[in-house]
Amino acid sequence: MRSIWQVFQHEFWHNFKRGGYLFTTFGIPLLAFVLLLGHNALNANRQEEPLADILQQFNFEGIKKAGIIDPAAVFPTISMPLRGVLLPYADEASAAEAMRRGEIDLFYTISPDYLETGEVTLHLPSLKFTLINTQPIEQLFYTTLASGINPQVLMGLRQSATFETFNLSRAEGNSAVDRGADFIMLYFFTIVFIMSVFVTNGYLLQTVLEEKENRVIEVLIATIHPTQLLAGKILAVSVIGMLQMLVWVIGGLVTLNVALSLPAMQGFSALLNIRVPVERLPLLLAYFVLGYMMFAGLFGTVGALSVSMREGPGYAAFFSIPSVVPFYFLQVFLETPNAALPTALSIFPLTAPISMMMRLNLAAVPIEQLVASLGLLALTAFGSMWLAGRLFRVQTLLSGKLPRLRDLPKLVRS
Amino acid sequence: MQKPIQALEISKSYGDFKAVDKLTFEVNAGEIFALLGPNGSGKSTTIRMILDIIRPDEGSIHVFGQPLTDENKAKIGYLPEERGLYKTISVLDMMVYLGKLKGLSNAEAKRRSLDYLERFELADYAKKKVSELSKGMQQKVQFAVTVMHDPQLIIIDEPFSGLDPINRMMIKDLLTEFRGRGGAVVMSTHQMNEVEELADRLLMISKGQQKLYGEVNAIRQQYAKHAIIVEGTGDWNALAGVRSVEDTPNQRGAKLLHLADDVTSDMVLEAIARSNAYIINRFERAVPSLNEIFIRAAGEEAA
Repeated sequence: MRSIWQVFQHEFWHNFKRGGYLFTTFGIPLLAFVLLLGHNALNANRQEEPLADILQQFNFEGIKKAGIIDPAAVFPTISMPLRGVLLPYADEASAAEAMRRGEIDLFYTISPDYLETGEVTLHLPSLKFTLINTQPIEQLFYTTLASGINPQVLMGLRQSATFETFNLSRAEGNSAVDRGADFIMLYFFTIVFIMSVFVTNGYLLQTVLEEKENRVIEVLIATIHPTQLLAGKILAVSVIGMLQMLVWVIGGLVTLNVALSLPAMQGFSALLNIRVPVERLPLLLAYFVLGYMMFAGLFGTVGALSVSMREGPGYAAFFSIPSVVPFYFLQVFLETPNAALPTALSIFPLTAPISMMMRLNLAAVPIEQLVASLGLLALTAFGSMWLAGRLFRVQTLLSGKLPRLRDLPKLVRS
Repeated sequence: MQKPIQALEISKSYGDFKAVDKLTFEVNAGEIFALLGPNGSGKSTTIRMILDIIRPDEGSIHVFGQPLTDENKAKIGYLPEERGLYKTISVLDMMVYLGKLKGLSNAEAKRRSLDYLERFELADYAKKKVSELSKGMQQKVQFAVTVMHDPQLIIIDEPFSGLDPINRMMIKDLLTEFRGRGGAVVMSTHQMNEVEELADRLLMISKGQQKLYGEVNAIRQQYAKHAIIVEGTGDWNALAGVRSVEDTPNQRGAKLLHLADDVTSDMVLEAIARSNAYIINRFERAVPSLNEIFIRAAGEEAA
């Protein structure tokens, strides 16, 4: 145990003091915070801009045509620049039907008490970030109700609309929750997982290969057992990874809280509804820990087998690239989180951590799928650790060449 | 006191290749023991078996009277032939880490590291990264790491490679000082002059098998020719009891006098002393250098 502790201490501080680690762990949250303040400052400056400039900045992004239901006729007319873009409908049913037929991308319902509350409801066909856009209504406001008002005054009113966002494709009783906010959390957790697992486990690979290339390895394994060396290393990078995740989560929460108090961020309806998914935290933690163990074992295995720093990361790509495959199917996950592909990816161990983290944030996952996914992931995690332990031996560590594929079973058994 | 190393009929094969074949030897406390042999003769495999890095297929090795334990590992200082250091951390941090792995406390590892750096005139480099050190400096740091935990047995592969004469002398002094304190040194080297100068006993192996084993001087006498080396003037061929005369390789001015079977070196010396025709500056028995013995033994194997 003493040797493992010595290795742990050395590896922890050695990796902690890396410039790359310090930047990604502390620099990125700091940068996000600074960017947030910068965005707020820039937005404040915009209040000085003339109305014409402001109107030029409007960007409807993916919206080609949008419906508008204004039962109380709050807006007297659809102003010129918006004709053909904003199409009036008598009620939500006819607008929803037009949206289903594809005639409009989305529709807005103007609350009868809009002038008092600024309340507008956005109706989407499915969750698409590019469609969550308040700017058509803002532009309508500026060019009709506020057309005679001083631009300086107008800027103060730019945050006047408070949106509630609904995704019509998931109407199963969760309308109070902003799915965009959940998506931000999902994205955040997934990115944190990927960065943490691959950056810090990359260090594990790097230190093993450094010791092989520097020829320190023979002195080390003449002093302590190779498995003690591996255990100390894995423990150290695990703590490094956990620490990084903790800093990001705390940094993210602080940034979020500050963001919510900044005037410039009040238009981001998704941010306003963000909440930490406390009820899913134990599951997310389980996927993080098991995923971490699985990849630590795999990186350790590659470190034991590889000879140089040049080839090691190349071999690690064999499992690190497939593990982020779920990201390529993000749209499929968003639209049909319980379809065959997301389900399969969330059960296959290599892709399970990211896939299941995504699904858990988007839909209710059947318990039998969770059990199968976690069970397989746990088996693979322990299997990869066992494999690393079997291969982290003198024969492979001191070998100057990569073993042949057909020799691997013999090495594992020996 | 238990012998530092006792190896009994150890063998090791890699597939069909027999790297070490029934080697038996001992290393005593307070001696420098040389492990000699051509490249690929099984020296490194033997050392790795002593250190329990690999296990022998047959035979047994006792280190300090028992199979190598974790406790006894801390009594060994090992410097392999292909040695290196962590390049990206400071010299002091690296020495402290390796010292702690050998059982030293943090404070003690730091104190001893600084002591050795001072002794090796590297104190100014304590905070520098290893990559900033010259090769000779790195060699000295490697040696310091090997001995800083005060081992009772040092196993060192090619101890003098890459060292300039001054640092070579410094390492020799350290090894002889260590021997003087009762420590045992196993050194594997190709530099026979160093073995002649430092080693008390040797084991020479070839193709994994023992070729020579014993005290260095005894082995040299064993390989001594029935001849004497002289330097001086006179007609050496005319000297009674001399069968033939030849120049000695690598010894300018010296002659090798081969003696008749029934003639001893004392008889030749007496004949020279009785005659006015000879002046001698040097007279010694023709004992071969270890280098010659090494080449001869390895050559016999090759033949």
